[in-house]
Amino acid sequence: MTERLAMYIDTSKCMACRGCQVACKQWNDRQGYVPGVRETHNVGTYENPLKLDPQTWTRIKFIEYDDGERFQWLFMKEGCMHCTNAACADVCPTGALKYGPYGIITFERELCNGCGYCSQFCPFHIPQLEVINRLTGEAKSSKCVFCQDRTTNGLKPACVKTCPAGALDWGDRDEMIAKAEARVEVLKNERGFPKANVYGKTQLGGLGRIYVLTAPPEVYGLPADPKYPAISTLWQKIVQPVGQAVFGATILGLVAAFFVARRNVHMEEVE
Amino acid sequence: MSVRLKGTDSAIMIRWIPKYTTVERFLHWVHTASFIPLALTGFVLFAPWLEPLAQGAAGVTIRLIHRIAAVFFGGVPIIYAILQPRRMVLNLKEFLTFSQYDLLWLKGAFPYYVLGRHEEMPPQPRFNTGERLTAIVLVLGTLIFGLTGLPMWFLKGVMPVWLFQLAVIIHDLMFIITFAMFMVHFYLAVVHPMMWQSLVSMRYGVVSESYARAHHAMWYYGEKRAKEMWEQHRREAGH
Amino acid sequence: MTNHWVDIKNADVIMLNGSNAAENHPASMYWIHKAREERKAQLLVVDPRLTRSAAKADLYVPIRSGTDIAFYGGMIKYILDNELYHKEYVLHYTNAANLIHPDFKGPEDLDGLFSGFADDDGDGFGTYKDRSTWSYQTDAEGKALRDETLQDPQCVFQIMKRHYARYDLDTVSAITGCPKDKLEAAYKLYASTGAPDKVGTILYAMGQTQHTVGSQNVRILAMIQLLLGNIGRPGGGVNALRGESNVQGSTDQGLLAHLLPGYLPVPTSADPDLQTYIDNKTKPGGPWSGGYWTNGPKFITSLLKAWWGEHATADNGFAYEYLPKVESAANHYWIALFEAMYAGKIKGAWIMGQNPAVAGPNARLERKALQQLDWLVIQELFQTETVAFWRAPGVNPAEVKTEVFVLPAADAMEKEGSVVTSGRLIQWRPKVAEAPGEALPDHDILDRICRKLKELYQADAGPFADPILRLTWDYGGGPTHPVVGELVDITKVAREMNGYALEDLVDDKGTVLAKKGDLLSGFARLTADGKTACGCWVFSGYYYPMPDGEGNTLPAAKRRGQKDPSGLGLFPYWGFSWPANRRIVYNRCSADPSGKPWPDGRDLIWWDPNADSGTKDAEGKPILGKWVGYDVPDFVVTKAPDAPGGKDPFIMRTDGKGGLFAAMNEGPLPTHYEPVESPVGNLLYPNRPVNPVIKIWKTDEGQEVGNNWGAPDKFPIVATTYRVVEHWQAGGMSRWLEWLAEAQPDMFVEMSEELAKEKGIQNGEMVKVSSARGTIKAVAIVTKRFKPFQVNGKTVHQVGMPWHFGWGGGEGEEYEALAKGDAANDLTPHVGDANTMIPEYKAFLVNVEKA
Repeated sequence: MTERLAMYIDTSKCMACRGCQVACKQWNDRQGYVPGVRETHNVGTYENPLKLDPQTWTRIKFIEYDDGERFQWLFMKEGCMHCTNAACADVCPTGALKYGPYGIITFERELCNGCGYCSQFCPFHIPQLEVINRLTGEAKSSKCVFCQDRTTNGLKPACVKTCPAGALDWGDRDEMIAKAEARVEVLKNERGFPKANVYGKTQLGGLGRIYVLTAPPEVYGLPADPKYPAISTLWQKIVQPVGQAVFGATILGLVAAFFVARRNVHMEEVE
Repeated sequence: MSVRLKGTDSAIMIRWIPKYTTVERFLHWVHTASFIPLALTGFVLFAPWLEPLAQGAAGVTIRLIHRIAAVFFGGVPIIYAILQPRRMVLNLKEFLTFSQYDLLWLKGAFPYYVLGRHEEMPPQPRFNTGERLTAIVLVLGTLIFGLTGLPMWFLKGVMPVWLFQLAVIIHDLMFIITFAMFMVHFYLAVVHPMMWQSLVSMRYGVVSESYARAHHAMWYYGEKRAKEMWEQHRREAGH
Repeated sequence: MTNHWVDIKNADVIMLNGSNAAENHPASMYWIHKAREERKAQLLVVDPRLTRSAAKADLYVPIRSGTDIAFYGGMIKYILDNELYHKEYVLHYTNAANLIHPDFKGPEDLDGLFSGFADDDGDGFGTYKDRSTWSYQTDAEGKALRDETLQDPQCVFQIMKRHYARYDLDTVSAITGCPKDKLEAAYKLYASTGAPDKVGTILYAMGQTQHTVGSQNVRILAMIQLLLGNIGRPGGGVNALRGESNVQGSTDQGLLAHLLPGYLPVPTSADPDLQTYIDNKTKPGGPWSGGYWTNGPKFITSLLKAWWGEHATADNGFAYEYLPKVESAANHYWIALFEAMYAGKIKGAWIMGQNPAVAGPNARLERKALQQLDWLVIQELFQTETVAFWRAPGVNPAEVKTEVFVLPAADAMEKEGSVVTSGRLIQWRPKVAEAPGEALPDHDILDRICRKLKELYQADAGPFADPILRLTWDYGGGPTHPVVGELVDITKVAREMNGYALEDLVDDKGTVLAKKGDLLSGFARLTADGKTACGCWVFSGYYYPMPDGEGNTLPAAKRRGQKDPSGLGLFPYWGFSWPANRRIVYNRCSADPSGKPWPDGRDLIWWDPNADSGTKDAEGKPILGKWVGYDVPDFVVTKAPDAPGGKDPFIMRTDGKGGLFAAMNEGPLPTHYEPVESPVGNLLYPNRPVNPVIKIWKTDEGQEVGNNWGAPDKFPIVATTYRVVEHWQAGGMSRWLEWLAEAQPDMFVEMSEELAKEKGIQNGEMVKVSSARGTIKAVAIVTKRFKPFQVNGKTVHQVGMPWHFGWGGGEGEEYEALAKGDAANDLTPHVGDANTMIPEYKAFLVNVEKA
């Protein structure tokens, strides 16, 4: 495999300007507020849209967190983690989601048939199914693809390009990890964030997003130890091969039985 | 009814005994006609090596066929329950009635079907052990396919993901069982040289008297008589 | 900004006050973070609410809206008491040592007033007409007397010390509602930049200015920076983060009631002719009596020559008479303008890229004022609420007589030209997209109107046609528009602003400095005799060909050279920074009095006694000694530190000294007054609750729509308005865009959990917010980011609202805004600052109830 690239996300520098959220929509041609079709409303928070959706591949979460020591208004950029062990790509029956170059979990919309397994197996609930017709099952998955059209041509993802705070970066994964670890040391020692931590270094074999966090991951809605879905393993490693073996054995057995039976069994005479 | 034997001038008289109602036969074929596309389209999503068929528009079509077929597949028992509830209950009861002979049947099935040893087969009611097991699997299968498939269809994104994942795996396991079973059923009913009458029965709803006598003695003679005949047969065979 | 955006990275402490840079100037955060990373700089945020900027702060200090002077007065006291000021800087570069008139009296003596106050009608408000006691003591030659020991009780330093003596931690805490420990921590942190090797920067915005004491709020920041020696140095300065991308440019171009382009005062009725205009300014004590402004006559003459060309001659006072004269510029500021409109004194209005129906204070009154117009022309992108003011909620369109003309305008990206950043950096921008349909750049619309006007005057010249007919107006020759034909060649406008020679310019030795028709290299070439034309002297040189450091020579504002020899982020080859491509103004202060850079490792300019000054003495020997360095010196380059005036760095001031003591309409020293609507009285001067020199309008007081004033009994909650990053001003450029509307779709009001509990309000529910001027609905955001203030023992709640929203403007999906909501400005008061008349948007009283 080629070099692994990763996105560096320093939440301690993010100021929730949401330039990334908008740049993503612009580059990837996603919708915003469409009256009667896609409306958002204020429900008592700056956060909007309130969750990822097929038109929103990245967004900023706003979290008010008081650990008793210090009140923090946390901002976290949410989006596809591009896991080393990516359940979405593993369960995708079409190859629309793939382990692409640089560790990017790429997505080819044309290949997607809308089964939605990816959306149901991702430990981070990232892939979003655009249900076109619930009855016919017509749908398309969608998620952040690290702007695969840009990054595979040597450009940075649109969100990184637009970030005015310098909170986002894009580059060699090891370098991003080193940068994050150095930043966490600074936050711990100089800026009064004893709980600062790096997220994404080890989770699920290592994520394509390396976060610098100033509070425990759970506060941001990030599982500290996300689990690769056991059922996905069971499915791929056992059920699929076993099923095919069963089918194969059945067919073989029946063919063999047929030839044996043909010698031994005679059409029942009609009386 | 007389039947002209193929390639001869001689005709024979056959007494036919009704086994299935018209509705049952019709529904059987609907069930078959929906199960096959369901199995094939399902298999496309199931087997990674069929990826090209699952992609894009082909995949969309395959998933659509799966859904349409599922409606028919799931519709069969419902229609049956509406049109012939008593028959359905009767059949279900029969499916669930097992006796000591079922073990013997299972023991004798392989020698019988593969090696052609007729003598080992115990008397059977209207549905033999194999048929009843098939039916039970099918009934259970239909229920489970419905219980897992419908939520996957309509509640994706609504129900918790662990439940969805569980549904996927159960759906698939059921698929493995039913599809393997289907292949055996297909073999016995269509391919197996001995069983042409079962096809006839699903075509015309009847079996020949001789067939009924040979294969469903408990049905043809009644339970008591069939048992007596079997015991006698066994004694004669020197057991 | 005295400094510039990139320069923020050079600061040791960054103080944001009345500024939510993260939301309104996100790009600044890059440099703030850089300073924090590379210099271990500390970020201090002073704001009534915990903003997205405050969320990033090392120290966040909450203060009640409208108490900035108390807060900073406390800081001055802390700096003086603990002797943390930059002593050498204060002594040499400010007027701290100057002796003030013996009869001068301050608020401590006169119960909240300075000497010279005149309240003619006894209503408690008046003016300082007589400012004679605010002057310096002078010797026989008129030179200011100074006490360099700073001990004389009449010296500025001692006056200032007495003035802020009562601004102790307890008092400031009682006024601002800020806990004492936070106050002290903030003071300690920021005062640390008084050390000669430390520099702190102040970034402020409308939170500081939009008060009835807004100008003094800014002035007190300048005083702090002078005391700490932070002006004119890399990493320092008083930096206005301007509210719009080119508002600096529009200010430079004089789009203000009191200014002509280049900060030349607008002629008043006291200046009937050019000579009087000049004399009034150059007379002793006048603003052009000393310092660089002594060149003012050159600037005004060149401006007149740019406008009326050959028709402007020495004989006719360079056509000065063509300029309209105003009674008082203050009569033409926003609030005054809308009051006049409301009174029916204005027949027509022409509005460009503004949305006063939502943006103006007491917006209901201002919308009613618009109804009094006969006609209204609007240049806009969308059908904003102003375009559709005649169908505002509660208005019957049939009863509105105003005829409205909408001229579709091009967006900023759809036109070519220069844009000026807050840091005075002029950058030329290309057009990157075609404007749709008949939409035209504003300059093209104005060009076509002006040409038509000339045509009409030509046909039927009235009594005062000359100013129009003789106006130099030849900007044609630009690209051809598919619908309207030939457009303006914007480079011709650039040429006029840059300035050009009308005749050959020759120096006393006969060297030709510029040939007739040539662009001028800078304002040093301007003359007062009509040989030069320049549309905006501060811009002079900005379009003159200059090297970009990478081998190309091109109009200065178009340069994109990326060399930064200093490493300080000056980037002298990128664009053009007015004045004279100077990146940091007052930069003489970056060197100590002897001309050596302060020991802070941020060397900017210094005196090199051995450098060839380029001049020769009487014997023909080169004179040595010159200011050199990385930036363009803001000083006479050959003036040695030990020469007379060699230590007077503030060349735009008549005495060259930083004004710790400087006349403003409220007096020479900022004094704490409460906002016009305040929940409490003035703890320091109970008899002077509010700024005594503001103008209180009483139009239709007591009416449903009118200048009504709220008291704390009915309206006990302090409210402030602000912007959020997702929207732009009154929403005219953002509420119609789906991506932005999605991110911030509804009008909201933010409040503390404590207030919500008191009022029984749940997060996310619709509530009513009312002031004496109106009631609006908004979604409640109940948050820990707002906390009640303990003000002198009383709990004072504060709420905040964005002012971006409006009912949606035009009718129908095609025209209506996507993000809609009630306008916060329906609640704000029609009252402004005493110097600039900027409205008091940031502090007023409301009540909040469940809807």
